[in-house]
Amino acid sequence: MSAVDLITASDRDLLRRYHEGGDASAREVLVERHLPLVRSLARRYAGRGEALDDIEQVGAIGLLKAIDRYELSREVALTTYATPNVVGEIKRHFRDKGWAIRVPRALQELNGKMGPTIERLTSKLGRSPSIAEIAAEFETTTEQVLEALEAGSAYAPLSLSAGPTGDDELDPMETIGADDAEFERTDNRASLEPALAALPEREREILRMRFEDGLTQTQIAERVGISQMHVSRLIRRSLERMRTQLG
Amino acid sequence: MPAADRIELTTPVGASWEAVIRMVLGGIADRLDLGFDQLDDLQLAVERLLAEGDPQNPVTLSFEVSPGGVRTRLGPLRDAALAEALQGPEPPPGELTLPRILSTVVDSYGVEEVADGHLVVRLEKLVRKQ
Repeated sequence: MSAVDLITASDRDLLRRYHEGGDASAREVLVERHLPLVRSLARRYAGRGEALDDIEQVGAIGLLKAIDRYELSREVALTTYATPNVVGEIKRHFRDKGWAIRVPRALQELNGKMGPTIERLTSKLGRSPSIAEIAAEFETTTEQVLEALEAGSAYAPLSLSAGPTGDDELDPMETIGADDAEFERTDNRASLEPALAALPEREREILRMRFEDGLTQTQIAERVGISQMHVSRLIRRSLERMRTQLG
Repeated sequence: MPAADRIELTTPVGASWEAVIRMVLGGIADRLDLGFDQLDDLQLAVERLLAEGDPQNPVTLSFEVSPGGVRTRLGPLRDAALAEALQGPEPPPGELTLPRILSTVVDSYGVEEVADGHLVVRLEKLVRKQ
């Protein structure tokens, strides 16, 4: 089936191609097609101290799970089947990794506004704002800003993807566009290179832009279309994951 | 040249303690008026080095804060091979190594002291003229 045929195929045809024929491109088309649903559902959970793009990424994992678990014998539309999966994934995220634990609501809200505000100030000032400038923007103290930033770091590992949910379960985001590369463990602890190949393409590209091309987080954010804070979290998460893989 | 203010912190190694270190760095960045991205870079450098710390032994961080920037010393770290890597030649282009990460996120770094197989790494972050 050509790319055009895939795009025009029904959900059911694509699900059949994926589940019966193992056609990964059919799965990708399904994901792309239903991302607006994910965004719509994610928006319901915005303003709770979590960046919207992070919620969307979590919701996307729910969508992937729905596609993978869909049974062709079901007489139910994928949209109908996916909705509770996406919502469930987002709720689980808030429950397990989110804010309900110890972070005061005021800090949650401040953190949620931090990314857009830093972006706006960066654009306005032509450089990254200082902590004092961020605090002035919120009419709060620098201590509050630092606490809010740290509150965001508390769950920072969860960003582009939520990571595996079980010992034998692949991170769903890794299965899209990722090289099926084997990486070798190495005794050279200073080199993260072998583990780089195991990262999803998008994260590899972000690391390359930062550490090879020398782009700033702000420049990367502009190119990739995500927030500077999200770039920061992705870099941390990627490096930590690579470090863990190398043991 | 004015004397640097000095802060010293000895902490267990582990993710749960990194928040404490990030907050200290945040306070220093605030006093130096560093940009958010510079703070983030410095935090990343320290986190990467802490990953080389011995989980069984505490690590000491000292910060010398002067109007021109902050000098961070972190150690002892356990891995002599790390010292060689940090003191070695620039890694080839395209290779992602700890030296490349550090050279991207701080203005300079070096291995300042090696004793009994342990080492202290020095990081320099300068105040950027804005």
